[in-house]
Amino acid sequence: MQIFPRELNYLPLAVALVAGGLGAGVFILFWVYFTPPNLQVGYAPKQPVDYSHRLHAGELGMDCRYCHSQAERSHEAMVPPTQTCMGCHALVHTESVKLAPVRESWETDDAIAWVRVHQVPDHAFFNHSAHLRAGVGCASCHGRIDQMEVVGVVEPIAMQWCLECHRNPEEHIRPKSEITNMKWEADEAWLAQRAAIASVLNPPLHCSGCHR
Amino acid sequence: MTRRKSYELSPGKGPSMWRSLEDKALGAEELTKLAQEEQPGGFITDLLSPKALVSRRSFVQGSSIAALAAGLQGCVRRPKNEILPYSKAPEYSVPGIPSHFATVTSRGRDALGVVVTNHDGRPTKVEGNEQHTRSLGGTDVRAQAYVWDLYDPDRSQSPAQRRGNALVDATDTDFDKALKDLAQKHEKDQGAGLRILAPISNSPSFRRMRDKVIEKFPKARFHTYSPINDDNAREGARMVFQGAPHIPLYDYSKSAVTLSLGSDFLGSEPGAVAAGRRFALTRKLGSAEAPMSRLYVLESNFTVTGSMADHRLRIPQAEIEWFARALLIVLAARGATQLKPIADVLQQVEGALDTDGIDMAWIDAIADDLIENRGRSLVIPGAGQPARVHALATVLNAALGNFGRTTFFAPVIDPDDSDNRASIGDLANDADATSSLIILGGNPVYDAPADVKFAELLDREGLTSVHLATHRNETSERCSWHAPLAHELEAWGDQQALDGSVTVQQPLIAPLYGGRSEIELLATLMDEKTSSGHDIVRETQAGQLDKDTKALLDYGVPATDLSSDVIWRGALHTGVLLSPAQSKPPVNVASLIEALITFRSRNRASRDNFEVVFEPDPALWDGTHANNLWALELPSPMTKLVWDNAALISPTSARELGVKNGQMLRLSKGEAKVEIPAWIVPGHADHAVTLTLGWGRTAAGRYGNGKGFDVNPLRTSSQMDFTDGVTVDPLRETYSLVQTQTHDRMEGRPIAIDATLDEYKKEPDFASYRSVDPVSTPPLWKQVDYGEGHKWGMTIDLNGCTGCNACVVACQSENNIPVVGKFEVERGREMHWLRIDRYFVGDDANNPEVAVQPVTCQQCEEAPCENVCPVNATVHSPEGLNDMVYNRCVGTRYCANNCPYKVRRFNYLDWHGHLDDKFGWFEDFPESRKLQFNPNVTVRMRGVMEKCTYCVQRIEEGKLSAKRDGRTLRDGEIKSACQQACPTGAITFGDLNDPKSRVSKLAAVDRNYKLLAEIGTRPRTSFLARIRNPNPKLKGNG
Repeated sequence: MQIFPRELNYLPLAVALVAGGLGAGVFILFWVYFTPPNLQVGYAPKQPVDYSHRLHAGELGMDCRYCHSQAERSHEAMVPPTQTCMGCHALVHTESVKLAPVRESWETDDAIAWVRVHQVPDHAFFNHSAHLRAGVGCASCHGRIDQMEVVGVVEPIAMQWCLECHRNPEEHIRPKSEITNMKWEADEAWLAQRAAIASVLNPPLHCSGCHR
Repeated sequence: MTRRKSYELSPGKGPSMWRSLEDKALGAEELTKLAQEEQPGGFITDLLSPKALVSRRSFVQGSSIAALAAGLQGCVRRPKNEILPYSKAPEYSVPGIPSHFATVTSRGRDALGVVVTNHDGRPTKVEGNEQHTRSLGGTDVRAQAYVWDLYDPDRSQSPAQRRGNALVDATDTDFDKALKDLAQKHEKDQGAGLRILAPISNSPSFRRMRDKVIEKFPKARFHTYSPINDDNAREGARMVFQGAPHIPLYDYSKSAVTLSLGSDFLGSEPGAVAAGRRFALTRKLGSAEAPMSRLYVLESNFTVTGSMADHRLRIPQAEIEWFARALLIVLAARGATQLKPIADVLQQVEGALDTDGIDMAWIDAIADDLIENRGRSLVIPGAGQPARVHALATVLNAALGNFGRTTFFAPVIDPDDSDNRASIGDLANDADATSSLIILGGNPVYDAPADVKFAELLDREGLTSVHLATHRNETSERCSWHAPLAHELEAWGDQQALDGSVTVQQPLIAPLYGGRSEIELLATLMDEKTSSGHDIVRETQAGQLDKDTKALLDYGVPATDLSSDVIWRGALHTGVLLSPAQSKPPVNVASLIEALITFRSRNRASRDNFEVVFEPDPALWDGTHANNLWALELPSPMTKLVWDNAALISPTSARELGVKNGQMLRLSKGEAKVEIPAWIVPGHADHAVTLTLGWGRTAAGRYGNGKGFDVNPLRTSSQMDFTDGVTVDPLRETYSLVQTQTHDRMEGRPIAIDATLDEYKKEPDFASYRSVDPVSTPPLWKQVDYGEGHKWGMTIDLNGCTGCNACVVACQSENNIPVVGKFEVERGREMHWLRIDRYFVGDDANNPEVAVQPVTCQQCEEAPCENVCPVNATVHSPEGLNDMVYNRCVGTRYCANNCPYKVRRFNYLDWHGHLDDKFGWFEDFPESRKLQFNPNVTVRMRGVMEKCTYCVQRIEEGKLSAKRDGRTLRDGEIKSACQQACPTGAITFGDLNDPKSRVSKLAAVDRNYKLLAEIGTRPRTSFLARIRNPNPKLKGNG
């Protein structure tokens, strides 16, 4: 005797399909929304001082290393001490309201609490000096800072993204003289010689290159 | 090479190489079974047992909360982090680049020059200073561990005043006022009643301030007391050099035959670091033809020096003098004519010579060896030996023609300073006349001789006492005032080493808790113009700086480049202000003879007359480092005990007393009693007990309180080093002592390989007898070619390694390795990446030799751990490193199971808390300790496997700095932390692809071998087998 209709034989399949679909949905949800390209890119927190990179690095054409002076020596590029700001702003825009926190820091000797924008994931040790030495430009990772009013993340700072370049540095390096040049574009002469330069870089691909 | 047993354990026989007496007694089957256990003693499977930390129920509760929390955390987009740059940046400071400063740490009246690494203002790591004559680039355990003391969360954080029975926090102003009142009171009476007690000091500035205090308060008195002091050596020096005493300095590198009369010169004695380096030069053989020195050691406890001996005679401490007297007679008869006058007197006076029970075969062999090697030998007295033995050793060295060749002298520093034991006794006798007592550091309530009854002295009515100390310790608790003492890394000072060299002690950090130094306190007391330590030191050294300036001017250096400031900065930079002094004093034996014939009572130790020897703890020292976690969990070099001290006795004594390991003993002498568990040490002298100082503290801090047993009640001012007439009664109770010596069993495989020099000469490649290449075991995977680029490797010379443990602590501080506590060590969960295995060799349990072997990750090219990791958390780098990736590790522990060397360590718990502790779960992990972490190494969390990485952070930094400068890497530029710390230079790290590198040359030496090479792991670390150089005339124990 047939109690259940024949169509019900398809129930397990339907259940499996729905469950599989749901699972895939959750998976895709996480893939899209909880991975670095989404978590990292676009993060542009408000800073305690309305500092404009567009103005300083773009319009005024200041070199990155005027403020981030240790980038070639240390693993940190270094957020400049208040002293660096005051080097100019003791004379320029001395009454500006926007600069009030800077003057306050200068007078009280307290640090300005800048908010970290670019953060390398835990367990990874990144070194600015190594990348500058190899000829990776600032703009390669940080984007066109000279056009940003508020600095935000433009590249997913994630292992896969790092490795893309480590596996194939040729396309991401530039002459060492152009490292801080935001507007630089590869010309014929560079394209001709970059393969030879990249061939001796040997960026680490093994774990302890970054994880210690 | 008969003592090397076959690969398999020989059934029915004790192994000839054994880790503990229990192992020795076991049969092969039982040993194999033990070796197969991952957890010593088995896993604690019953979670409800009182031994386990959590019940099943609370475990489930905890894990659900954790799961929930993890879910919640996932919703947070990202943690908001702040960057706090300086407002006004200090010049030359580069965030992220560590700086290094030369400074110095005191060793009683000696000093050890060190270079301290400073990460963004935090001192994190200590290395030796190559330019300092007492370091020569090496360090000891205490130097490695003392940076931890800086961040000790239990350091005193403010002055305190006694109200009723308790210390109440006070302000610096209150304390300064109290000090001022005290000074004013004594200005009136010229300091009558003012007494100042200080530990022995090596500081010229301290001496200058002391003289100034006496000038200002002429009736005041200074007293000196340190529980571990140099009284014997100084008295011995006075005995042979009348008038102006001189202290001997030994050059072990020139000695072919060294005889230690109870001296632990490679371990706890002053100058051990430099001694180790020089001694190792005569032992690290490049080939079988190279000359090798011979070392005879007489001692009662088994020390690291004894473990290096070619012949070791275990005799009670008191017997050593009688041995030396007998040796003197024989030497005099065999041509050491200078000894004749003493020998004649000794032979004439009844009782001055007693050879009963002394092994004359030994004396015969040693005497021949010493006479044969005149001018190339050394006789070293132990710090714990009476002054007569110190004087005797100097006379023997003189007679053997060693002066100016192996034995040098420097004038005794501060010769007028009185003996410690007399000084503290005087202070106690003078109690009635004392109205104010200032104690500059130290902890006399805990460590003063028992007969002084220091606590009672402090409790007297009407006494104002001031105690300057790092912690509010046992002494502070009884004083009227307490003030925090600045750590050596926080304060300016100057220190003179025994050889006369002076180093400026420069601070690397401002006092964390507003502490002050001894000299600063004295300056405040005298109301000096400045109480700044820097200015005081500068003023002390002004004369020297001017002299140096003038000398350089005379030398022709242009005056424009020269000033005392330039010299000062140069001295700060190199860590040496004044070079060592040398003197050649004439020896006078009259007082020695007098002393020898006056002392004629020989009390031989027996069952009813035990000798008790007091030794400093290798890590805790006199208790100064009693709250130092690294020191507390450091396995003692010979016993491998952690977190406790014990009464060390020989197997024979144990049998006579009928005691087992851990059974409590009552040691009593007169009224004094100490109850302490027994620990049987093979090779210890019979009828003697060794007790280590520094334990059993009651006010050390949260970690050190109540750990171990206080043995000071037995120590009296007349017998500070050893005492006889002690009755030992076994008690019924037992105490759980925890040791690491039976952890990480190697299944009886011969991994610490040794041979005698003769055997080595006959068969130079004896050590690599199993390292068949290509290996007999075929590889699992396709072999990788490491011919290109770097090929990192390490060699460890077992002929240089003393097992002193400096590398273990160095590794711990460099790599943020946690400390786990006694309970966890008992379960085999210690975390040291580098362990030092200690084996006893030989079949006589009472008189074995010792072989030590540092074992850490061997960086196998065919690593068994990598094959079993399901998540690729441990993989190989192209340079041959066995990388460990913490963020991939899921904690299966398969790798640890599959490691034949047992060098992997698992984080069973969150030992270091969480650095971003959002939920406040880890409040018990003190904030101050986080300051010590090396920022270049991940602080691992629970559930992660870890192991030695060859200090990969240093390798990457070295490679990078070469890249930055556009040059190739130099050999020796990258040093692993263990290599840098090693006082004997036994560890070498480098590139095996560079044929000129030191490591590849050492890897090519014939006595080089790889651990378990036959199983085909192809380790990168290799060992140079231990060679012993026994005297053919002496059979047994060699």
